[in-house]
Amino acid sequence: MSEPIKPMVDIVVSCGAMHFYLSQSDKGTLVFGGDLDGYNTYAQRGNLPLIDHVMAAGVSLMPSLSRLRFHRHWGGVMDMTMDGSPIICKSPIPGLFINGGWCYGGFKATPASGWCFAHTIAQDRPHDLNTRFTIERFSSGHLIEEKGAGPFPWAQ
Amino acid sequence: MIRIDCPFCGPRDHGEFTYAGDATKVRPAHGSTDMEAWLDYVYFRDNPKGVHKELWHHAHGCRQWLVVERDTTTHDVLSVAFAKPSKSGGG
Ligand SMILES: [Zn+2]
Repeated sequence: MSEPIKPMVDIVVSCGAMHFYLSQSDKGTLVFGGDLDGYNTYAQRGNLPLIDHVMAAGVSLMPSLSRLRFHRHWGGVMDMTMDGSPIICKSPIPGLFINGGWCYGGFKATPASGWCFAHTIAQDRPHDLNTRFTIERFSSGHLIEEKGAGPFPWAQ
Repeated sequence: MIRIDCPFCGPRDHGEFTYAGDATKVRPAHGSTDMEAWLDYVYFRDNPKGVHKELWHHAHGCRQWLVVERDTTTHDVLSVAFAKPSKSGGG
């Protein structure tokens, strides 16, 4: 998150190729998002190389960012799956349903996926839209490879 | 920041390395038709809180593959070794 500046962007800028997004808060700070650490961690802190990586992406997209100062950064838990797609399905245990493994996609997809998940629970069978998002797809080979990165969550 | 003491290059920060996950998985034998074993090898990973044995590639250094033991709660690096021992028997 940057120091507050005058209004600069009034939309959310998202760049899939660089895994970078940017928006401006009401207080004027620019808020950035980027990649995950890649390695497994419970340390609850970030690291400088990743901040560098996110900002390099930001500056290549919008060179005007290069002189800004930065205030703080934070991270959270990312529930990555091996093919980059979520799992929304019944489980082998009756009455237990799974909705997780959202990788980078959770926030934007929540309304649609919640609707499908509600259908799955209410009808005890998946909706057409989430039929393929099973946990069994890993053993059956019917993967939903979002990026074609292979079973390497740190590369997604 | 994680500092990895590469046995060839010496201590370097992790920006020089590429992470490559769990180092304890053993590939099923070539031609194996045991699908459970392949499923486990390709897709199943533990995510331990504590010591994790993992592969790092020194991509911007000597380009050796390393096996690193790291504590996932503190990022302390406990040991670093070449993933493949040299044919001469040295380090
Ligand atoms: Zn090295």
